[in-house]
Amino acid sequence: MQGGLKLRVFIEEHPRSAAALFLAAAALLPWLPMGGATDYVVRVATLTLLYMVLAVGLNFVPGFTGLLDLGFVGFYGVGAYTAGLLMVQYNLSFWIALPAAALHSALWGILRAAPTLRLTGDYFAIVTFGFSELVVLVIRNELWLTRGPMGIPGIEAPMLFGYALNRDWEYFYLMLALLFAVVGISRRLEDSRVGRAWFAIREDEIAAEACGIHIARHKTLAFAVSAAIGGAAGAFYAGWFHFLHPDMFKFWESILVLCLIVLGGMGSITGVMLGAAILIPLTEVLRVGLGRLVEWTEQTGLDWISPDIVNARYLIFGLLLVIMMRVRPAGLFPTVGVTFEMHPACERTRRQLDENRYAHETRENRHALD
Amino acid sequence: MRKFASAATWICLFLGLSSLVWAESDIKLPVASPFTGQLATFGEGVKNGAELKASEINAAGGINGRSIAISLEDELCDPKEATNVATRLAGDQQVSIVIGHLCSSASLAALPIYRKAKLPAISPASTNPQLGKSSPYYFRNVYKDDFQGAFLARYISEALGWKKVAIFFETNDYSMGLKSAFVEEARKQKVRIVGEEAYTSETTDFTPQLSKFRMLRPDAIFIPGYAPQGTLIISQARKLGLNVGFYGADGLDDEIMLGNPDAEGLLVTTPFLPDGAGPEASGFIEAYRKRFGKEPNWFAANTYDAVGIAARAIEKVGTDREKIREYLASMNSPERGYHGITGLTVFDENGDCLKAAFVKTIRKGQWVSAEKQIK
Amino acid sequence: MDLQYLVDSLSLFFQQFVNGLTVGGVYALIAVGYTMVYGVIELINFAHGEIYMLGAFIAYHLVTVYHVPFFAAVVLTVMLCGLFGILLDRAAYRPLRNAPRLAALITAIGASIFLQNVALIKWGAQIRSFPQTSLPSFFGKTAFQAGDVQIGWLQVFMLLVTFVLMLVLHAIINHTRTGTAMRAIAQDKRTAALMGIHVDRIISFTFAIGSSLGAVAGILVGVFYNALWPTMGYTAGVKAFAAAVLGGIGSVPGAMLGGVVLGVAEVFGAGYISSAYRDGIAYAVMILVILFKPSGILGKSTVQKV
Repeated sequence: MQGGLKLRVFIEEHPRSAAALFLAAAALLPWLPMGGATDYVVRVATLTLLYMVLAVGLNFVPGFTGLLDLGFVGFYGVGAYTAGLLMVQYNLSFWIALPAAALHSALWGILRAAPTLRLTGDYFAIVTFGFSELVVLVIRNELWLTRGPMGIPGIEAPMLFGYALNRDWEYFYLMLALLFAVVGISRRLEDSRVGRAWFAIREDEIAAEACGIHIARHKTLAFAVSAAIGGAAGAFYAGWFHFLHPDMFKFWESILVLCLIVLGGMGSITGVMLGAAILIPLTEVLRVGLGRLVEWTEQTGLDWISPDIVNARYLIFGLLLVIMMRVRPAGLFPTVGVTFEMHPACERTRRQLDENRYAHETRENRHALD
Repeated sequence: MRKFASAATWICLFLGLSSLVWAESDIKLPVASPFTGQLATFGEGVKNGAELKASEINAAGGINGRSIAISLEDELCDPKEATNVATRLAGDQQVSIVIGHLCSSASLAALPIYRKAKLPAISPASTNPQLGKSSPYYFRNVYKDDFQGAFLARYISEALGWKKVAIFFETNDYSMGLKSAFVEEARKQKVRIVGEEAYTSETTDFTPQLSKFRMLRPDAIFIPGYAPQGTLIISQARKLGLNVGFYGADGLDDEIMLGNPDAEGLLVTTPFLPDGAGPEASGFIEAYRKRFGKEPNWFAANTYDAVGIAARAIEKVGTDREKIREYLASMNSPERGYHGITGLTVFDENGDCLKAAFVKTIRKGQWVSAEKQIK
Repeated sequence: MDLQYLVDSLSLFFQQFVNGLTVGGVYALIAVGYTMVYGVIELINFAHGEIYMLGAFIAYHLVTVYHVPFFAAVVLTVMLCGLFGILLDRAAYRPLRNAPRLAALITAIGASIFLQNVALIKWGAQIRSFPQTSLPSFFGKTAFQAGDVQIGWLQVFMLLVTFVLMLVLHAIINHTRTGTAMRAIAQDKRTAALMGIHVDRIISFTFAIGSSLGAVAGILVGVFYNALWPTMGYTAGVKAFAAAVLGGIGSVPGAMLGGVVLGVAEVFGAGYISSAYRDGIAYAVMILVILFKPSGILGKSTVQKV
């Protein structure tokens, strides 16, 4: 508990150093001596960064404005297909397709705002879900546009200064850059007037309106930004995978990203990234770990463990999800000081944080007196 | 709070785990397919077929004295997981060939990675026509959708004389590929398509579409889908009083059809015929029944042969990836092809296979070959 | 010729309507479990679909492995699943009673993944079906036939069971002390506790009832479609959740109505518009309804006081 709090205080007090440290650590990753596993680790790490971007993107709606969005995968899909089709059909460069995908997704985010503005709670959730299901059905069924379940193969690699990206670590750095930009935008917005307005809406919509906050405009903006980030992530995905298929954009993706942000601590940018850092590599860690376990049992002759245990990956994943939520009900990095989540669990963290800061400050003061 | 230890810990764990080495004596043969999740039912056949062949090879002394160790790589038919698996295998120098993937979407996603790593792969089940052309490192011992669809259209016209057909397809590439090839050939054969309806893999209730078909009074309904939905479709059609013929492609060739009394008379194409196949195939069926307590399906049969092809390649040229690819590419004539339980496998210049198709039907709850076969 | 066409179209219409009612009835049964739990503790119990799946599998297991007669197996399964619901609540949800709502939602998702994989490992991935000999023989017979329209006894049985269960449920909720307590908790948990209501016990009871209904739905569907498989709960669960929200989440009659509306919309969509967009049409109808009734068909529109 203490270590976590210290980490947290450090990140909150020195956001720049924390970001620099994170970037430095990430930048070093592909160069660690890992033998044949390098590409694999870097690929999973890139996937983790991608989900960090998605988590930061989704966070705008449930995290900042307090609305449960179950349809994020729709924007991700729109972005991916926009970029993929622009690159394959019109031979446009990745660098044009990326912003185009983000803008196109943002447009759908704004369009979705119109019918959902007055909805709250689970009614909002189910409409966003229905909306994204419709998007995915269009992707699946409109063969003339998306080739449907035949998928779009052969998407060219993004070019950078005349060089086509090829290696896994190159995509990793590209993804890192995208994450950096997205987190930068997110942080700026969080600390701006708009951000305050979002939090006000999250805490109490009526009170916020009474204070002169234009609810419709602010909610629409949140949807648009969230959708644009989802779209940008989708475009990156298209460029990285060189292939798109409707099966990539199932409802499960929406759920997964939601799990990331709730586990990490909704509303906290660092938190949702942490959520991704834990859950996304988890299935791969379990894959490798269980595989090794089976090998080990074969060598040592512990035959009561069935080799089929390698297929228990998702069983353990589900169980860990339950346990993690039980241990940290407010998320790993709970947003503090908001009534939206003002529950005993949050309250405890907040008190500890305050005490910690207080102790820290008194220590500093004492030094000053000396 | 140790959970906070975050990414770094996970990565360390990765490193630690992946640094352990595989027992030197075994030849590692990864089989990538969905073993969990919604499509795990298809993976079961793949797993059984691979394990059966591997244990037979090992019992016979292995490949040049080294035994095969099958490793199951679960990817849920999820393109994302498929690429993770592919990258991991590509980086593992002990892997010289991969058996997989099952779904065409997973195959297409993983394909660029295998191409880059120059790692050959044999898919026992991906039938999407695009696959072969996309990479010289991708082979498959299953026929393409376009061949099978056209074959079926010819069969019903030439052997059965049906003239009015309704198509009930799933919205996936397998089913739609079959459908479009079928429709094209049906036009040439003057078979009329009276109706086309779609369903998704998540559908359990097919009555609205079937009720519509009943109005159209077709001679038969063509189901270019998979068995789990196919068995439901046939039962529900019978319940609605739809007494027409049913036929499908190899996707319907599965044991669950035998448990369904409504499926009596169902016709399917198949890469191998249990009663007409040679001694090798009947041996396979025997061994499969004994070991797993059920009938083999075509996933099992094709995977069994794919492992056989991989083993022969390794036996002939060793474990060098490029040499294996060259060897597989050289299997381009009947003399150089592979005689397995599913007949002769010959790869063309795209790595696609040319294989005969047969038609079988259900009589008294058993698969038997249909009376009429066409070339 | 024209008359024949008219008769055909009419009979198709009725057939589709009956098909829609059957599908909707199933959604309704599952949706009721969702909405009851939601009404009492405001939790979207994503694992409810998995209880539905387990219901089907447990009954199957009892019938095929222990050769329990069908109806006895149904009763046993319903009781087991009721217990199981209580267990799930105890183990997963109760510790999070005071946590943020979404924490419980994620727990439910985790539990759902877990249970699905348990079934996958226990029973394997392939589709199973109840052996025909184990089922009551009248299930296979046709009850009514008028022209082309055909309704089986099983279909009648399903609709009947659904209807009777709904009546019983209605009686429990509105005319028993426990039901009153449930409604009290739904209104205000803390005050209910102050009034001497044993909140945790009532919540357990709600889980038991909801899970039992889910089990019944699972068995009925398993028998009706003659198929059960480990991931069957996922899609059904999502649809039922949509139905519950459509009807007005927290409202039991709403869930039934929502289920039926969704089922009929889906079947008519597939039958008359496009079968490829079947679910899409159902969801489009759902979105439209919610746009006009922002708190569902029968949901109470809460007036927010400042």
